[in-house]
Amino acid sequence: MSSTNGLVCFTNCLLPLEDGSLVEKDLWFDENRGIILDAQKTFYLRRERPDKVIDLGGNILSPGFLDIQINGGYGFDFSVYGNDDEAYRQGLKMVAERIVETGVTSLLPTIITQEKSVYPKLLSLLKPFSTPTSATLLGWHAEGPFIDLTKRGAHAPAYLLPATDGFKSFEEIYGAGNLVEGEDWVMTDNGNPAVRLITAAPEVPGVMSALEEVVKRGIAFSIGHSVASTDIATEAVQRGARLITHLFNAMPQLHHRDPSIIGLLGASPHLASPTAITAQLPCTFTAEPVPLLELPEAHGNNASKGPVLEHASEAFEHANVLTRKPTLIATKPPRSQTKPQTRPTLHLDKGYVADMTFERPYYGIIVDGIHCHPNSVRLAYSCHPDGCILITDAMKILDPNLKDGVHEWRDGKRFVKEGERLYLEGTTTLAGSVVTLDKCVRNFSRFTGCSLGEAIKCATYNPAKCLGIEDKKGTLRPGAHADFVILDRQGIVLSTWVRGKEVWSKAA
Amino acid sequence: MRLIIREDPKAVGDYIANYICKRINEFAPTPERPFVLGLPTGSSPIPTYKALIQMVKDKKLSFKNVVTFNMDEYVGLPRDHPESYHTFMFREFFSHIDIPPSQVNILDGNAVDLIGECKAYEERIKQYGGIELFLGGIGEDGHIAFNEPGSSLASRTRIKTLAYDTILANARFFNNDISAVPRMALTVGVGTVLDAREVVVVVTGQRKALALSKAIELHVKTVKYFKSIERVQDEVERTQAELKAKGKITEEQLGSLE
Repeated sequence: MSSTNGLVCFTNCLLPLEDGSLVEKDLWFDENRGIILDAQKTFYLRRERPDKVIDLGGNILSPGFLDIQINGGYGFDFSVYGNDDEAYRQGLKMVAERIVETGVTSLLPTIITQEKSVYPKLLSLLKPFSTPTSATLLGWHAEGPFIDLTKRGAHAPAYLLPATDGFKSFEEIYGAGNLVEGEDWVMTDNGNPAVRLITAAPEVPGVMSALEEVVKRGIAFSIGHSVASTDIATEAVQRGARLITHLFNAMPQLHHRDPSIIGLLGASPHLASPTAITAQLPCTFTAEPVPLLELPEAHGNNASKGPVLEHASEAFEHANVLTRKPTLIATKPPRSQTKPQTRPTLHLDKGYVADMTFERPYYGIIVDGIHCHPNSVRLAYSCHPDGCILITDAMKILDPNLKDGVHEWRDGKRFVKEGERLYLEGTTTLAGSVVTLDKCVRNFSRFTGCSLGEAIKCATYNPAKCLGIEDKKGTLRPGAHADFVILDRQGIVLSTWVRGKEVWSKAA
Repeated sequence: MRLIIREDPKAVGDYIANYICKRINEFAPTPERPFVLGLPTGSSPIPTYKALIQMVKDKKLSFKNVVTFNMDEYVGLPRDHPESYHTFMFREFFSHIDIPPSQVNILDGNAVDLIGECKAYEERIKQYGGIELFLGGIGEDGHIAFNEPGSSLASRTRIKTLAYDTILANARFFNNDISAVPRMALTVGVGTVLDAREVVVVVTGQRKALALSKAIELHVKTVKYFKSIERVQDEVERTQAELKAKGKITEEQLGSLE
């Protein structure tokens, strides 16, 4: 079966490009080195061409999917460490090897809030890892404990913490060794990119001041489980936050006067204007809190519409105690120096949006049809398509073959699984999901009306770009890992390839 | 010379591809005695390449024992630039057929010694015993490869400065930035092309009509007339093939109706 010169050509296939288009094109890769080749250079410079050609019958050859928020699967919970390193490692390996059936070839094990003494050990076990037949574990995603009590979701309230000493608190909790500079963190180079991601609420004391140091160490920061006001959320992004954790969930609902975290998707170029913004804005961005007189009305309207909107009022109460700083945006150094302000004045070019120094963050979104209504999914995507990242937020009972019913979780708690809904037993609190990422891709295309190629981009290029690993994962660039998922034209996974080898294929 | 008229570019491509296929298969090339084929870039040959690719996919034709020489390449343009002829040939043809990369020859427009590169190219063609069939196209002004009108019929592979017209025409491939368009190219000479044992020139599109009419220097212009010539030609070829089959002709014959 293998190619005599180790080079393989996929032909008669559609390649999803980084702009979301699908083009008919061949792809060459080296099955021994497990990397994608620059076909033209291979031909003219190496003077070789693949001895083996695989006809994909017109199907889609996508980069393998990336899931940057996943809590476990196949009965194994990344957040449960039973004081047995070997058993934990075996669990990781098992998930990595089985998850490929869902088209996922890279994942970021996500640890929900723990009793604080567990972190240093647990995170130290989550170094980049892969076997020749498994998906790549990229590192870790620590969701908590620096999150907001009112938006804790299924996280244990007793374990939530403030970061009283800023970055020092981060080191204390996560373990200084786990937060060292990127190059020092992964000593052995197995060719895998290394990713660390922290989800925290920037309004929790000490978090904002720790943020820049977190980013400086090469750790990605995501805003989540938070009631941050617009100002705070904006400042977090300016200080280096790159991502929003499970958009719409565990955050204030969109309020037009203080659109909060969700509002970042619509961040206005106006706010990046070099002229003072205070003089021009009639309502919110003033030194005073939001006028109290208007609040009860907003509150009343919201409350009458159901329990969900309580969160919106929580956010507003919080906004009231916050002292707003009108010059916040103008005085903070912009996060990105690469985009100069080229359009300080009004312009006349239809369809062109004025440049802004403020880069809108990426956002993870659970497209199981339960955590976000299809309309909300489309709303977010229409607003900021390049920031969209599909995540499963799947729990340990993720297993395409598992039956509905009550299942054990952790700390004596239990889940109830009803189709793709997952509750904490005895409550209506959603406790993560059991959707697979390939299903999310198909749902996304259905919910937003976008093409399959554009949906694939949200599960490949966008997450890879967010984490800065797009040269290795999530793309078909020459030199990137030969991790593929072959899909039919309706997005059904036909086979999954890891480092140039087929590791899973759909039974005929 | 023989003039074949077809309805549209696709039919032209199919005809030429069929002809090349027939020539290669009759030649029965081997690693020791490969078929040497000259190739052009541009829009005219694309239908021919498409048809040839399909023949390779259908296993009617193989390029395993074919050696190719391309006509030209820009000077100073990176090999993997989207507008380089290396890129064109790989994208439109070589990546889709079974030719071994070592049998592909394209002038190196980034060679340190450009004159040396041209000489070596001519030398390589000679080593292979010359070009069996040179496929080409012509420009609106009748240029072939980068041999603009006025080039010597005896010219060999050399460096050419591009005509201003050509630079203007190419600007659309370089974001309409004239200064980014290469000003020089390496090209085989008219003599190099004429040395081939057979030359097939694709001429499609209204804008090439004038160039073609000047080239054939015939004052008979009806398509009907050319079609009748083609019928006679087909008949002659059939008879010749029969004679050959019966062993009455031994020497190789090409073209005809001179």
